[in-house]
Amino acid sequence: MSIVPKETIEVIAQSIGIPNLSPDVALALAPDVEYRLREITQEAIKCMRHSKRTVLTADDVDSALNLRNIEPIYGFASSDPLKFKRAIGHKDLFYLDDREVDFKEVIDAPLPKAPLDTAVVTHWLAIEGVQPAIPENPPIEAIVAPPDGKKMDHGKDDSLPIDLKLPIKHVLSRELQMYFDKIGELILGRADTPLFKDALLSLAKDSGLHPLVPYFSYFIADEVSRNLNNLPILFALMRVVKSLLSNPHIHIEPYLHQMMPSIITCLVAKRVGHQISDNHWAIRDFASKIVASICRRYGHVYHNLQSRLTKTLIHAFLDPSKALTQHYGAIQGLSALGPSVVRLLILPNLETYMQLLDPEMQLDKQKNELKRKEAWRVYGSLLLAGGSCLYDRLRLFPGLLSPPDILPWKTNKKIALTNLPNNKRKASSRLTAHQPPTKKLAVDPTGTNSQFPSTDGPATSSSSGSNPNHHHSHNSSNNNSSSTGNITNANANINNVSGSGAHGQRVAVSNVLRQAWKEDLDAGHLLSSLHGLFGEGIFSFIQPAEMHCFI
Amino acid sequence: MEEEVEKAVFVYLRKKGFRLTEIALQEEQTRLSSDASSLSRSESDAAKYYDGYGKLRSWAYNSLDSYRHELLRVLYPVFIHCFMDLVAQGHMQEARTFFQTFREDHEMMHLRDLQKLEGILSPSHLEEMELARLWRQNKVKIRLCQYSYELLVQYLHKTQSLAMLGVINEHINFEVYPGQPASMSDDSEAVSLIGTSQDLAREINQKELHWGLLEDSVEERMEKTLSESDKTEVDGNKEADTEDNNKKKTDGNKHSTAVNNKKKKDKVVGATGKTIRSESSMVSVPPRVKPELTLPQFPPEVEQSILEDLRNRVQLNSLALPSVSFYTFLNTHNGLNCSTISHDGSLVAGGFSDSSVKIWDMAKIGQPGRASNPQGENGSMQGMHSLASDEAKRPYSLLQGHSGPVYSVSFSPFADFLLSSSSDNTIRLWSTRLNANLVSYKGHNFPVWDAQFSPMGHYFATASHDRTARLWSVERIQPLRVMAGHLSDVDCVQWHPNCNYIATGSSDKTVRLWDVQTGNCARLFIGHRSMVLSLAISPDGRFMASGDEDGTIMLWDLSTGRSVSPIIGHSSCVWTLAFSCEGTLLASGSADCMVKLWDITSSMKALKTDDSKSGPASRLRLLKALPTKSTPVYTLRFSRRNLLFAAGALSAGS
Repeated sequence: MSIVPKETIEVIAQSIGIPNLSPDVALALAPDVEYRLREITQEAIKCMRHSKRTVLTADDVDSALNLRNIEPIYGFASSDPLKFKRAIGHKDLFYLDDREVDFKEVIDAPLPKAPLDTAVVTHWLAIEGVQPAIPENPPIEAIVAPPDGKKMDHGKDDSLPIDLKLPIKHVLSRELQMYFDKIGELILGRADTPLFKDALLSLAKDSGLHPLVPYFSYFIADEVSRNLNNLPILFALMRVVKSLLSNPHIHIEPYLHQMMPSIITCLVAKRVGHQISDNHWAIRDFASKIVASICRRYGHVYHNLQSRLTKTLIHAFLDPSKALTQHYGAIQGLSALGPSVVRLLILPNLETYMQLLDPEMQLDKQKNELKRKEAWRVYGSLLLAGGSCLYDRLRLFPGLLSPPDILPWKTNKKIALTNLPNNKRKASSRLTAHQPPTKKLAVDPTGTNSQFPSTDGPATSSSSGSNPNHHHSHNSSNNNSSSTGNITNANANINNVSGSGAHGQRVAVSNVLRQAWKEDLDAGHLLSSLHGLFGEGIFSFIQPAEMHCFI
Repeated sequence: MEEEVEKAVFVYLRKKGFRLTEIALQEEQTRLSSDASSLSRSESDAAKYYDGYGKLRSWAYNSLDSYRHELLRVLYPVFIHCFMDLVAQGHMQEARTFFQTFREDHEMMHLRDLQKLEGILSPSHLEEMELARLWRQNKVKIRLCQYSYELLVQYLHKTQSLAMLGVINEHINFEVYPGQPASMSDDSEAVSLIGTSQDLAREINQKELHWGLLEDSVEERMEKTLSESDKTEVDGNKEADTEDNNKKKTDGNKHSTAVNNKKKKDKVVGATGKTIRSESSMVSVPPRVKPELTLPQFPPEVEQSILEDLRNRVQLNSLALPSVSFYTFLNTHNGLNCSTISHDGSLVAGGFSDSSVKIWDMAKIGQPGRASNPQGENGSMQGMHSLASDEAKRPYSLLQGHSGPVYSVSFSPFADFLLSSSSDNTIRLWSTRLNANLVSYKGHNFPVWDAQFSPMGHYFATASHDRTARLWSVERIQPLRVMAGHLSDVDCVQWHPNCNYIATGSSDKTVRLWDVQTGNCARLFIGHRSMVLSLAISPDGRFMASGDEDGTIMLWDLSTGRSVSPIIGHSSCVWTLAFSCEGTLLASGSADCMVKLWDITSSMKALKTDDSKSGPASRLRLLKALPTKSTPVYTLRFSRRNLLFAAGALSAGS
């Protein structure tokens, strides 16, 4: 009936030298023992509270005994709460792990370090109600939700609603962790191995990678910001992004906002890789493509995705204090978003921008060769953007699009080739010594999908084919020459047009032309304005047949 | 009547000499009476209680919704008395089963009482335990509406459960009121009312209470000079009207108080004039009262510094939160029992369980070179240096004198004296300038849990395990007043800003307000469900906040004695409470390692708008919770410029 069994009383009696306690006495004593225990505990708790503690210590019990004028029990004093151990095989039997201590051991042991003396340090817990993030204050993450009971009370007391985000435990399987570690290792160390290609393929195809997406997005953001000088890693990271985006099993929308900044960084960063040795143009182009594909795919989900993106890019483009490399990235990004973006955002600013760009391109005004090359790059990308836009406009007239005749094109090419040497000198004195890629012309007839000469390595090779040595290493110069080459080609076109004189089609097409000027004055004006800015370079974007019409 | 007849019969028989008949009659009478008693005992068998209570309980739970909560209120005292009856009759086993069976119902409201009562195992315990005695000796008063009462009476008659009827008749007084049952929300007030205390509380709380501020305070004079100089009503009125905490200095202790008093009286006219005027312009100016104690005057330079502080005070409200400076005690080895911070934050004192008191001068610690590594220096060099050099190295001043754990420390308003109270039953007064003990006050018979200097200095109040609070003057080694009335330990004590009252919180779960002049209890606040650990009175003297062991904070209106808003503010003991100087914010510090800031103005406004129904309709609004890094908050203090100081010991677990 009492929680103290009579056996306990008997044991205690024996321990103090009363061997034969009658059971009746034990029974009678048991309730009183329990009562005294409770009484002492109650007083001990009072002492604990007044010592501003929430854990009962042996000292508190001693104080409580003192309060009751009872001799305290010696030998248990400890400033720390006692550590009880559960007795094996018993559910609620605990004992103090009290080892026997050898005196010799104690004497031989080196003196323990003197305990540090009490000290007071001061810090700001809050400044005008806001907790500063200093090591003395708990980290923000540590502020977890209060236990349920308390939260309930908050609701009940209609105090201020507190925004508490519960930290969600996310369990990642060991396999996925290994996979993630492996990919990370590949990206950072061995991006050029075939294994990495396989990894990219796996990222693009495998299902079940979704749990890793947040880690990847974090990893990418982290590594991009850390490795801005390391072009191979950036490339590898962008490829990973591309693979992840193309994986049909991954629902990547929630993580786009984390990935976009890294991609845009690759696109418009002032310095990507080592300016001179690395082909940072390529990664900008690559990033621009990724951005464009994201916009196409998720533009309808995030309706403000494109607007925010274009805002960022146009900001970079229009800021004259930004480096040319950044302008280039912005132009590439914008033009990748489609001709209409170019028409709306780049073309209105084109004239003013060209005024800015022009001096940079002149040999006599910009002595720094690197800068000049950059300027030409930008020029080329602008031309491309403008040209593609123009092409898009002209495409509106189906009659113009289908080349009326293959023949003039062929002759055209020949003439272009023959005319090349003198044209080259005529068009631009700044032509590089490289072979002018007349193959650029091949772009025009091969169809609508590759109407603008892409400036990154693979694209160039696909369009030129015969120019393999113009890859990565010479890319900057290659591109430079390609833009000038365009001009050459345009000249060739003109020559062709004037040379071949009036073809039969001209009369028929003139109707269409009239229509074009009438219905969509834009196209005409656009052409004229672009012509004014780029000179004849723009003509390369117009199919020869159309050229007929306009000229 | 019957006795008279019997007596007459006896007299008659004796007169007639019918001896045998007389004896026979006597025997008959004793037999009858013993019969009756044995009958009643057998009736009140253990099972009767068990069944009776079980039935009453299920009936109460099945009663009409609107009356249920009133009827449920009856259950708890019935439960306790049934249990005690069983114990008293020696049915120990049955008592225990009974207790365990129905204990759950009351755990939410009365857990701590139940834990205590659980230990009652023999009739002698009933006598010994204060709580049990209280229950037995006093009747519980329960307010029921007319219909609830009728329902209950009907039930008891219908079921003929005599045991229940007996218990209820014997131990419960019903106070029946006409009309509809009171709303559920009043329940908290009806909780744990033991014995006569509710009556007493009502009676006590009828008394007049002058909760206003002292006339002729520094603030008031400052306002006066301001308004006289430029004739414009300064907004400072609001900020200053509440700040009485730190007016006077206790140095010297040899003022000619009589002279001062006269001076004060001379100023009364002007002061009242001022009060009227400011009351007409500002709504919330508290009334002014005269001091009941002869209070010390303070020197002009101190007054100057107060005025300077008042001018520089930051306005705090729900939008402008205070800055909090936190003093962390390191390496306390679980030994820090209490701490206090002087008004300007320059001195920090801690009372330790090793009987020592340590004072840190923060200005010195802040000096370069000193602060770099004070404790490391000390720790490594302790063995090598002589005591003297060690003392010089020590970054604090060590005050030794107590012979038991120090449970509280308190600075005088200008930090030139420090009080410490200890489990050795004494209170000691230390000079912070001399770093020496000046007086040891003996009077309490048990550990002194708390000692607090009055806002004006010179006087102090103490609270002890001996269930009394005492009022002392620093000049005398005997207490001036003994406030007795609490039914258990007095755990904390706090001064009213006008120095005419002191508030005490106790383990009997009540808070009392005492008149220092008469030593009588002026208010009794009932509502806490566990021991009261901390108290704070708003600077305008109108409200009092109290925090308890469970984390509940209650706000009381001193004039009515009613609870304004009970809140569960923390998940663990509320160690400390502090009002900001304008009384707009309440800060609370707790063992759950949080400092929380509460909006007082909103709840006060609500109170003012419907003064007629000052029920617990309004609640305190939590403005900000500031977690510390595993440092329970022991002390909070607003400086006169409204900077919040907090102190606590880094717990070893981190």
